[in-house]
Amino acid sequence: MASIKPSIRHLNTCLRCVRRSANGNAALNGTSVRLLSSSAAPREEAQVQVQTQPNPMDKWPPLDPALVDNKRDERRLIRKEGIQPIGSRRRRAALRTSPQVPFEQLPYQCFQEARKFLLEDRQEKIKQIETQRLRLNNLLAQDPAVSGGTEAKEARIRSMRNYLNELVIWADINDPLVKKKFEDGEGDMNKPVYRYLADQKWRKYKRLILEQRIYQFNIVPDILPALDPVADVDLAFGRRKVAPGDFVDSLVSESMPRLKVQTFDQGEKLVTVVVVDADVPIPEKNGFTYRCHFIASNIPISPTQTSIPLNQLDQTRKVFQKKAADKNIALPWLPPWANKGAPYHRLAVFVMEQSEAKALDVSAIGKTKRDGFVLRSFMDKLKLTPIGITLFRTKWDENMAGVMQRAGLGDQVTVEFKRKRVEPLPYKRRTERMR
Amino acid sequence: MPPKTSLFHFRSTLPPLNPAQNVLYNTQIPRTTTFSIRATTSPFTSTARMEKRNKGPKHIIDPRITQIRYHLSHPLTPRPLRFSRDRYLRHWTIHRAWLLFLRKQRWNQERELERQYMSMRDACEALRLLDENGNSVKDEEAGGKGSDAGSLGAKGREVGRLYRAAMNKRGVWDSVPIEYARSQVDFPGREGWNHGWTR
Repeated sequence: MASIKPSIRHLNTCLRCVRRSANGNAALNGTSVRLLSSSAAPREEAQVQVQTQPNPMDKWPPLDPALVDNKRDERRLIRKEGIQPIGSRRRRAALRTSPQVPFEQLPYQCFQEARKFLLEDRQEKIKQIETQRLRLNNLLAQDPAVSGGTEAKEARIRSMRNYLNELVIWADINDPLVKKKFEDGEGDMNKPVYRYLADQKWRKYKRLILEQRIYQFNIVPDILPALDPVADVDLAFGRRKVAPGDFVDSLVSESMPRLKVQTFDQGEKLVTVVVVDADVPIPEKNGFTYRCHFIASNIPISPTQTSIPLNQLDQTRKVFQKKAADKNIALPWLPPWANKGAPYHRLAVFVMEQSEAKALDVSAIGKTKRDGFVLRSFMDKLKLTPIGITLFRTKWDENMAGVMQRAGLGDQVTVEFKRKRVEPLPYKRRTERMR
Repeated sequence: MPPKTSLFHFRSTLPPLNPAQNVLYNTQIPRTTTFSIRATTSPFTSTARMEKRNKGPKHIIDPRITQIRYHLSHPLTPRPLRFSRDRYLRHWTIHRAWLLFLRKQRWNQERELERQYMSMRDACEALRLLDENGNSVKDEEAGGKGSDAGSLGAKGREVGRLYRAAMNKRGVWDSVPIEYARSQVDFPGREGWNHGWTR
């Protein structure tokens, strides 16, 4: 008993040494892993020392933040390189010891069978796509008289194209890697599957909220008679993101926002961005009117080109463009403002597609009057189609006076709206008949 | 007092089978401290009677009762699947493949039914156009058009005799109760009895 105990202890320490040295650092140092033997070690060490002059930096080779799994290395990583290790220590240790098998080759029988089945289905779908393409080409080459008139032919072409697009999506929709990539936000928006998935995701949450805001704030029918948003629009002032319908501080909204417009259908579009205030009070009429705060035209967007930084629209292009006709901003940004005591103002940001991607004349649009701006007639005149919308609200706050001064609205600062006193009805003695 | 401790530690986990031990629960017999300890930790402490008697400082729940309750209770909603990323993706892949398999199976079954129906329909059509000599006639000359299968065409009874025989519903219900003609439901139909019905 007594003779066995120390040897087991030795074995344990030895194993611990081996495990320690296997974490990548020691292996890189050139220290050989030696298990349960002590015969030729000194000679080897001597050889190593003779061959290479020990570089002090070699002693601490770079660490992989995904794989460090002991406390000392983690501390070194954080202190020396300023990188936080990724995931839990348990996970890192597991990753380091696990064989890095790619996801598709994971050895689970049911999973592999499922993958085989899905791949077969994908091959079928690809074959169907080829057939459908061939049919479509045949139909396109066909004489309209044979296919039953131009209208019938166009209808058939349209339905065949729709089916083809569906097939293209169906071919890839069951791929787990596609799903993984989409969830990681690495999906290529030029591909139909990722656009489809993004569209579905948008429609499941963000679009519902947007619809609710449009309904709650009566954007339809106050500004437009009907609205069917098909593009995801994110609004942000600097780094501050604005959810649809948020109150925005006047100091924040003094500078232009940036828009992120995600379209879900193929191709590049030219869009016009219009910002309309729908609640400009007219005390004389005891009512409200509209005011235009911003118009910019001919902005190219596509599924991959989503950002519209309104404040950089004309600045970035000034270097390349000399002509005034190539400007984007027709009406420069007027900071949203509201009088003291007036109810909140709804500011709707519309992204409107220009028909057939034709460029509009910006200088002509620039002559639009801000006050009493009616979006319906503006849209009809320029043949615009609303594809995206977002909105925010503004009201009087402590910064509003300064904002209005800087915007040249000094005379409006002192104006204060008050509720009209409703004269009470003259006192009438209650009689028996009134009860 | 060594016997006391030993009794406490090595007590049986089963209820006492020996009837002589039931003496323990007889209140007439003066108890020792040993007995009271046994009573507290014995399997029957959870009965109402014993619980009422021992209002101890700590309420002890027998682990066996916990186990029984644990295994007897079944929540209405099953436990949600909590998987790691890869495990979830694998689960999803298998699920999608299974759904696709079901879909294809259903599609194939429908196609098979459709094929059988069309085949039967073609056979009946051939019978309808068949005349006495086994030649097929033109559609205009044959009878049995529309909903009335028994109507005669221009060539009279000679054409489509087999068709009319096949369409004949006589004797269909011979081996089956006639009640099965109408699916069995909880309430009688709007018209209680079809008085005009004849066989």
